[in-house]
Amino acid sequence: MFDGLDLVIPAGQRVLLAGPSGSGKSTLLRAVAGLLLTAAHGEKSGRVLVDGVDVDRSPPRAGLLLPDPSAGVVAETAGRDVAFGLENHRVPREEIWPRVDGALTASRFPYGVEHPTSALSGGEMQRLLLAGSLVLDDPLLLLDEPTSMLDEAASGQVRSAVLRHIARLGCTTIIAEHRLGPWINLVDRMIVLDAAGNVTADGPPQRVLTTQGAHLIAQGVWVPGEPSPEPMTVPGSLVRPWETPPDGAGELVTAADLRVELAARLGGRRTEPVLAVDGVHAALTAGRALAVTGPSGAGKSTLVAALAGLVRPTAGRLLSHPGIAVRGRREPWKWPAPCLAARMAWVAQLPEHAVVARTVLDEVLTSGRCCGRERDCLQVRAEGLLELLGLSHLRSANPYHLSGGEQRRLMVAAAVAHGPYGLLLDEPTVGQDRNTWAAVVGVVAAARDNGSAVAVSTHDQAAVTTLAKDELALQHGRRTR
Amino acid sequence: MSRVRCGPLSLLAASLLPIIGAVAVHEAREGALALLVEVLALGWLVRDLRATAVRLLFGMVAALGIAVSTWLYSGHDLAEAAGAACRILYLVLPGALLLGLIRPSELGDHLAQRLRLPARGVVASTAALQRLDALGEDWQTIQRARRARGLGMAGGPVRRVRESAGSAFALLVVSLRRTGSMAVAMDARGFATATDRTWAEAAPWRGSDTALLLIGFALALFPWLLD
Repeated sequence: MFDGLDLVIPAGQRVLLAGPSGSGKSTLLRAVAGLLLTAAHGEKSGRVLVDGVDVDRSPPRAGLLLPDPSAGVVAETAGRDVAFGLENHRVPREEIWPRVDGALTASRFPYGVEHPTSALSGGEMQRLLLAGSLVLDDPLLLLDEPTSMLDEAASGQVRSAVLRHIARLGCTTIIAEHRLGPWINLVDRMIVLDAAGNVTADGPPQRVLTTQGAHLIAQGVWVPGEPSPEPMTVPGSLVRPWETPPDGAGELVTAADLRVELAARLGGRRTEPVLAVDGVHAALTAGRALAVTGPSGAGKSTLVAALAGLVRPTAGRLLSHPGIAVRGRREPWKWPAPCLAARMAWVAQLPEHAVVARTVLDEVLTSGRCCGRERDCLQVRAEGLLELLGLSHLRSANPYHLSGGEQRRLMVAAAVAHGPYGLLLDEPTVGQDRNTWAAVVGVVAAARDNGSAVAVSTHDQAAVTTLAKDELALQHGRRTR
Repeated sequence: MSRVRCGPLSLLAASLLPIIGAVAVHEAREGALALLVEVLALGWLVRDLRATAVRLLFGMVAALGIAVSTWLYSGHDLAEAAGAACRILYLVLPGALLLGLIRPSELGDHLAQRLRLPARGVVASTAALQRLDALGEDWQTIQRARRARGLGMAGGPVRRVRESAGSAFALLVVSLRRTGSMAVAMDARGFATATDRTWAEAAPWRGSDTALLLIGFALALFPWLLD
């Protein structure tokens, strides 16, 4: 990852660590926290000193916030979760609760100490974890892409909570990000890593941006003021539906007054069903893209999954075009899996949920084999897509060993290689660098222009503008626009 | 629907002790009396009626299965079948009524502070317990992703077994990754060095706990006395 990296960070400095995905930003933060070998293997030489003490000898008091908040929650109520660090530091019970209350207020957490953590949205969870870090008053704060999985409103709330804390405590802060915009004016120093983990620039943020801006953009970093990248140009032969949709451009799937209740959580205390989608009308149309937007928890993912035939509606109508019915059945959720795959593709938000094969090439071929596509044509499309998306050299690699961006491109390739009529994606651009963004948006736009019916759940405004004429905004499961 | 709070240790004991009593349940009439006493002795603690009903339903299905097979193998002896059903119900009823009242973090507090089990192990287990929700969601997403790729649960038994194995492997990988991140997040909040820690909540043993423990012992003895 790194070879002979030297850095000195004075106490109280706010540092923005920039670089493309895979440049080792997370690794560096973990090394500073003395947690490099907690959940990873590798060889390490050299030393990390915090306040003159080797972190391997005694781990420093450092708060660390990770990108995926759901991996950080340790208790079933909010108060108990924030108390976790205080308990570990042997703070007496009578001091714990006042400090917990203070931290929850400071991070603008909207509920009380008894609120169950299983009922929180991503943004609320991240503010809870922030409270859990801040309550320790650690002199060092490490933020690893703390807002990359959150929507715009939730990111803003997390950022302002961080800033209030830094202002109050004056702690040394290192922020790793590939979206520089929101942080750039809030830091004193910017360090740029390249894909090989070398420091290519280090200095005041504005000066580094002026000298390194073009280089950063080329590496895929989101630089403030720079417009979204041009979507990749994708030949229609790689993405178009395998067969022409029945009677030209029809409505592939229509939902009328659709209602979806999600079943009670496994092992949880809450047994009331959650109403995810409530009375929504929507249509998937060949050659058009539908953007499903709204705050987190609004039911975007559930609606898209329902249109993809993966969720059984609780009430309302969800029917396919009669021309693509399976043995007379027009309800997509009733179709056998191979028939569904031939008609609809769905890309999960986290690629690792969706890995089904042992090699990258097999991953792209799987759906086509399941629904009986002609072998040679399928092979040509799969290899063409891998080549185009920069994955050719990885064709025999295990999909789990790919980086996040590579996995994302792979899953999009696997969704279009067998030419389904419909292409549905759940937050396909969240947390991606500019290069993967351009690749994903390029493939989806090309599929749309070549006759696929597209639906995307997203809170990425740039993706909505580029892809979709139709926008369906949800709030609490109901359509607001 | 009572406001009396019992701690997790007495709840656990009262769920398990009646197993000793169940061994002595043989006849339908005594069994029915024992069950009535059991319901009266423990039923007042129940809060979440719906979840309890679901757990009871599982117990009922088990009891019915035992009753039917006993009836078939005992030369259609209805009394013996009813006795067998009572025994199973006496065994599972306390668990169905009480286990839902135990909260993982509270159990952790009591195991560590009252029974003096090692703090790190207790904390790691309670953290893992509250991840069960997330595990269920991961499983659902994996199933959806595989169905969308044409690999759903359909076809013969061989294909179903292979498909389940595929989903289970994916779940294993996802969980291992999450566990890795969770370990880092926990260590960053001082867990790495917390061999000795304080506890945000006390683990009190109340009068109601003693009462419930005595009820548990009584339910272990009662069928033997009837016998």
